[in-house]
Amino acid sequence: MRKQLSMLLCIAMLSISSFAQTRQVSGQIKDEKGQPIPYATIKLKGAKGATSADQNGNFKIEVTGAKPSLLVTAAGFDASELAVGENGSVGVVLKSQSSMNEVVVTALGIKRNKNVLPYAAQQISGDQVSATRSNNFVTSLSGKISGLEVRQGNAMGASTNVVIRGAKSFLSSNQALFVIDGVPVDNSNNNSANKSTTTSNDQTSGRGGYDYGNAAADINPDDIESITVLKGAASTALYGSRAANGVVMITTKKSKRGLGIVVNTGVTVGKIDKSTFTKYQKEYGAGYQQGGYSTTASGSPNTSFWWKDAFGTGSNSLIVPTTEDASYGARFDPNLMVYHWDSFDSTSAFYKKQKPWVGADNDPVSFYETAIATNNSVFVDGGNDQASFKMGYTRTDERGVLPNSRLLKNLLNFGATYKVNDKLTLAGNINFSKIDGRGRYGTGYSKYNVNQAFRQWWETNVDVQELKDAYNRTGQNITWNWADPTKPSGLYPIYTDNPYFIRNKNYETDSRYRYFGNASVNYNVNSWLNVLGRVSLDSYDELEEERIAVGSVAVPSYSRFNRTFREFNYDLMASVNKDLNPSLNLKAVAGMNLRRNYVNSIYAITNGGLVVPDLYFLGNSVSPISAPTESDDKIFVDGYYANATLTYKELLSLDVSGRYDHSSTLPANNNTYFYPSISGSFNFSKLLPNATWLSSGKLRANYAEVGNSAPFSKLKDVYDKPTVFGNATLFSLPNTKNNPNLKPERTKSAEIGLEMAFFQNRFGLDVTYYDTKSVDQIFPVAVSTATGYSNKYVNAGTIRNRGVELSVFATPIKTKDFSWTINLNFTSNRNKVLALYDSSKNLQINQSSLQGGVSINATLGEPYGTIQGKTWNRYQPTGEKLVGANGYYSITSTTNNVIGNINPDWIGGIYNTFKYKNLSLGFLIDVRKGGDVFSLDLYYGMATGLYPETVGNNDLGNPKRAPLASGGGLIVPGVTADGKANTKRVDNTSYGYYGYVYNPAAAFVYDASYVKLRELNFTYSFPQSLISKTKVFKGIDLSVIGRNLWIIHKNLPYSDPEENLSAGNVQGYQSGAYPTTRSLGVNLKMKF
Amino acid sequence: MKKYLIIFASMASLAACTKNIDSYNDQTKAASSAPPATLFSNAVRNLADVLTSSNVNTNIFRLTEQHWTTTTYTDEPNFDIYTRNIPQTWWTNLYRDVLADLKECKRLLPTSTGATPGAKANQNAMADIMQVYTYSVLVNTFGNVPYTKALDYDNLFPAYDDAKTIYDDLFTRLDADIAALNTAEKGFDASQDVVYGGNVSSWIKFANSLKMRMAMTVADVNAAKAKSAVEAADTKAFGSAVDNAVFKYFAITPNNNPIWTDLVQSKRQDFIAANLLVDKLNALSDPRLPNYFKPNDSKVYVGGTPGATNTFSLFAKANDKITAMDFPGMLLDYVEIEFYRAEAIERGFSVAGTAAAHYNNAITASILYWGGTTTDATLYLANPAVAYATAAGTWKQKIGTQKWIALYNRGYETWTERRRLDFPVLPAPAAPKGDYPNRFTYPSNEQNLNNQHYAEAAKAIGGDKASTKVFWDVN
Repeated sequence: MRKQLSMLLCIAMLSISSFAQTRQVSGQIKDEKGQPIPYATIKLKGAKGATSADQNGNFKIEVTGAKPSLLVTAAGFDASELAVGENGSVGVVLKSQSSMNEVVVTALGIKRNKNVLPYAAQQISGDQVSATRSNNFVTSLSGKISGLEVRQGNAMGASTNVVIRGAKSFLSSNQALFVIDGVPVDNSNNNSANKSTTTSNDQTSGRGGYDYGNAAADINPDDIESITVLKGAASTALYGSRAANGVVMITTKKSKRGLGIVVNTGVTVGKIDKSTFTKYQKEYGAGYQQGGYSTTASGSPNTSFWWKDAFGTGSNSLIVPTTEDASYGARFDPNLMVYHWDSFDSTSAFYKKQKPWVGADNDPVSFYETAIATNNSVFVDGGNDQASFKMGYTRTDERGVLPNSRLLKNLLNFGATYKVNDKLTLAGNINFSKIDGRGRYGTGYSKYNVNQAFRQWWETNVDVQELKDAYNRTGQNITWNWADPTKPSGLYPIYTDNPYFIRNKNYETDSRYRYFGNASVNYNVNSWLNVLGRVSLDSYDELEEERIAVGSVAVPSYSRFNRTFREFNYDLMASVNKDLNPSLNLKAVAGMNLRRNYVNSIYAITNGGLVVPDLYFLGNSVSPISAPTESDDKIFVDGYYANATLTYKELLSLDVSGRYDHSSTLPANNNTYFYPSISGSFNFSKLLPNATWLSSGKLRANYAEVGNSAPFSKLKDVYDKPTVFGNATLFSLPNTKNNPNLKPERTKSAEIGLEMAFFQNRFGLDVTYYDTKSVDQIFPVAVSTATGYSNKYVNAGTIRNRGVELSVFATPIKTKDFSWTINLNFTSNRNKVLALYDSSKNLQINQSSLQGGVSINATLGEPYGTIQGKTWNRYQPTGEKLVGANGYYSITSTTNNVIGNINPDWIGGIYNTFKYKNLSLGFLIDVRKGGDVFSLDLYYGMATGLYPETVGNNDLGNPKRAPLASGGGLIVPGVTADGKANTKRVDNTSYGYYGYVYNPAAAFVYDASYVKLRELNFTYSFPQSLISKTKVFKGIDLSVIGRNLWIIHKNLPYSDPEENLSAGNVQGYQSGAYPTTRSLGVNLKMKF
Repeated sequence: MKKYLIIFASMASLAACTKNIDSYNDQTKAASSAPPATLFSNAVRNLADVLTSSNVNTNIFRLTEQHWTTTTYTDEPNFDIYTRNIPQTWWTNLYRDVLADLKECKRLLPTSTGATPGAKANQNAMADIMQVYTYSVLVNTFGNVPYTKALDYDNLFPAYDDAKTIYDDLFTRLDADIAALNTAEKGFDASQDVVYGGNVSSWIKFANSLKMRMAMTVADVNAAKAKSAVEAADTKAFGSAVDNAVFKYFAITPNNNPIWTDLVQSKRQDFIAANLLVDKLNALSDPRLPNYFKPNDSKVYVGGTPGATNTFSLFAKANDKITAMDFPGMLLDYVEIEFYRAEAIERGFSVAGTAAAHYNNAITASILYWGGTTTDATLYLANPAVAYATAAGTWKQKIGTQKWIALYNRGYETWTERRRLDFPVLPAPAAPKGDYPNRFTYPSNEQNLNNQHYAEAAKAIGGDKASTKVFWDVN
């Protein structure tokens, strides 16, 4: 309290002193090369209001007080504070900031000047990710950093795939390491694939389950000061093995003197982008074929319907074939009265009533609701000479586009430093987060996912709003997909539940309580030697519960997955910063890091159903439950590292580092490994002081190796333990053979880069070429199962990644009131599988099989991530598609044909910012060129006749779906065995022509390119003149924020090419894809 | 200064707790040792599952042999075995989930405790018999397969062996196993022997019956071998249905019969009776008809057209007996053996009795097994279209047709016997997507991973096609 009083007193003193006498000061602002800087802002310290310099950097300002000082700020330059002398004129020299003099946070939190940094490191400010108020800041990195590929799924809270410079590992994670203030934090993807031994619940194979998101999203975005992406091995070597995939370094905010309060409050609404969802044909309804549902002997007037005794009246009538989850049935006819699914629902107004045979008024698009998210945060910081603190709280509450979906995040962080004396500083911070999910979206080909039916197996006559009413009336699984509605025992769903029942009854819930933080002691031994000791903890406990309600198609069940994660890091690091002579500076670091990881989990599921409906605990199992699946993994790594950087006159720098690791997961005789890096930079602009057009220029080159150890317990074999069979105890060999002879794997990388800025930093670029080879990888190679195993752990294989990264910034227009800046990022990566194991030519990346007969593979001599499946047989002389004697395409029987490649040719982002006085407009165009995606939705949905392509007229002008005899049918484009154009007309009255039945998987591989308007941010900052009158606020910004507003271009019909099943190595595959949510929000940011 | 040292020292002490980190890599939530019998039980269970299953991703022979067909999803009755990668699943289930565990059981036996050396010898023979059984299924399905180089984790891409040579070796092994079985010693514990409850005598009968089956399988290409093996096994093989190698499922998940999972638990309506079988049973007034099937909604036994789209309610479907949770699986039964004896006599082998008597025994045993009475059987056998003397065609047609009926619900065995006896002739399905599978093509993984040996094997058998015949299928 006493301190608060003294603070208030200080503030009071300051305001009193401002009544002193005034005088005018003038001056000119120039850069380091003597060029005038236009339109800088000059402010008298402690006073309100500011003035601007003119085009030539000249300014005048009234100053008061005994020792007045000026704060000079200009975009692209370091802020400067200078005391005003007795005379009325000052010269101000600002250091350019935007590329070279920037301070970059590098590995282990070491700050380096960018002008001598010998490797690629791109930094963006926290505002650039927090401004969009996305509840997963990781998604906001897309398009803003070169070399970084971000893929985000469309499900609420979906995990984000973050890969830097291409996939390097065959089967292990290729995700970047996230580091906060020098301490690694876990970014596990805890989707269903990672917890169960059953493949039926394998989320990454597209067989269902939920995407629980990734743990890096637990960081409070409002606490982020800056994000630096360290791309190559040279920059990350000090982090050791785990950083082989690059590092996303997050630096949290530092407290400022005095008390600062920032409050954000905002709301966002979202609607689905209809261009990314199924468009339904409106001509034909339920059935797999026209005709054939009732024998002609039954006297049915229309054999595209069932001809049955619907209500035991003794007479037959036409009934919609409710079991047929396709739309290749009867042509709609408003004059035809038939019994629909709801005619058999005793609670329906149409019970026992016929309705016209017409298409649905409300197709599944109407299932999607308006998403609403609120975002509130408060951030307080403060400090004085001795101590400082910060405290932040963010709460986001998101309700997704699906009914009964909610994701609530509470993020709280606190940090404090205390300077005991000039030498010793103590610091600590703690982050607490609580993530609660309910009704996350089911993914893939599963009953959890409403899109499996909507996109693949659906009757276009079914009105979704009527399904909603049916569910709301009864709370039961009243559905369109009756097994046989004409008898009471058949009134249950055969394949597909009512989608409202799925969302409301078969929901998941999850929670994650997380604590991470560290305590550190920093001791300045003398002016050039500093010792840091730090203990950090990342710890979370999570619970995921999944339910299938009694009454569902699937066996009712309840499962729970408890997982705890603990990581301790103990760091001791000594750093030296000494000018050996006036022109030679030495920076050196030596230290050790002890890492201790403990992850344990337990997964249990009921067996054989649930006894009491709507009651979800393991004891409610019909049959005794099988033993839960347990894990208890421990990974310990002791690392010792040293690094030295010699800098000569800020002109040349040489950087050498080495790290020695001792890992618990490798064989005792081979569990230590050393890896070095060497880097250099040449700041050639220092040699050209007279080239005024050249603001800065630097050439850099480096080479580095990174070693890596094995996953937990891959040396010794253990047995699987199936459930006891009667009285027989069962054990089984596992499917993967471990290997006691593993050795460390290695990534070797080389990089060369050029950074230049011109015309007072109005224009600049940073271009990098890199070449990375990952060799001797530790992974479970797929083997012939005739060995008795599916996989065996080995050291094998080489993947090469080569690529170019380019970042360009420009300020084409800059006047007093208006400016336009552009930031462009471009990445082109080429990867190639150079070696696999032994004679194998292919490694399947998806560990359990994907629907549709396709696989994602590492194929020898091809890029990592080929899509393989059946393709067309070709007429060899011309390469045209071959049509068989039956009039349909001739298709390979082999499934190992390369039919696509998941890697884009290049990705890029352009961020434009326009500022006019207090208004600013920024928008990001995010581009991906090339790469392929397989659509299971179209593979099946085209076969079942949902899409508009399957109806309309044929080349003769007759309805395609008319019988051949009536001039319907189609001619498959292609040539017959004799090389002549196919002329055989084939039937299209039953399912299949456009879909999987008569076409190979290759027909459903699409170009995944897109151009998206990813972000739009329109901000109005209330003028200082207005703010100052309030006496309360220091600033108020009102923003309108849009995300994913417009997909400007794409080649994948009816879906978003970016949508995926989950983060991970299995990309380029869509099943039950979710539409993009366009979101628009407003945010009010208030500074106090 | 001292104060700071204390701070650093206390931090260092936090880190110094673990000295030797190498010992922390052991798995503590799984067993690193196991009793050999548990692997035997698991292997037999997996074998029974794959042979019993009606899952369209694994066991589709009920469909290709036109015992059953499908309602909506017609890929498999139309011979599409690729879309679901069925050969891969079948192959992997047999090698990885059956053979590997049997091998591990045999590896563990010598060093295991709790059994006498004599009991261990019996257990080893039993595990080997099941390996022989499993390899015969693999050869009958694919032709040449990895054998001498298989099941070796240091040879990850094994070469294939000639199918006939494998069969020859299987006979040798089986003879050695029969010789090794000693009724004076125990076998596996009653609870772990999931077929015969620890009865060694039953295993001797089983091994001899298996020998007879394998001998008859190669009868068309190696009559001499078939003759000697059948004659040696005849009196020691199954003498009644009591000897059947039955695999008993439980009325509780997950140890239930997998047919229940597919047909009842799933609530799906995928499978119905195929018209060929239903028409035949109707024509013969076969007493097994109401036990094989339940009628359609109009209480009539009608079969659907294979490969066409069929409406579930209009057709007969599998009887509730078959879809019961605890309906047993069958590895080898007296019915088959009696048909083999009848056939052996027709081939001129020296087997006691007459072909007609064994034929009658087989049919009678089948009718009794399915719930009929001896009166039913007598009446049925009196039907001139059934009676051995008067039924149509050659002995191959007579036995083939009745065996195809009797092996109902045992898709794999039906497939193998029908390929061998060539009767009955199956009409083409409605919209064939490929050739009738004379064999399964090799798994796609073998093409991708074991490419060189795959290519050699494909060449050796005359092309990796579904139409290529297995070595014993010469007619």
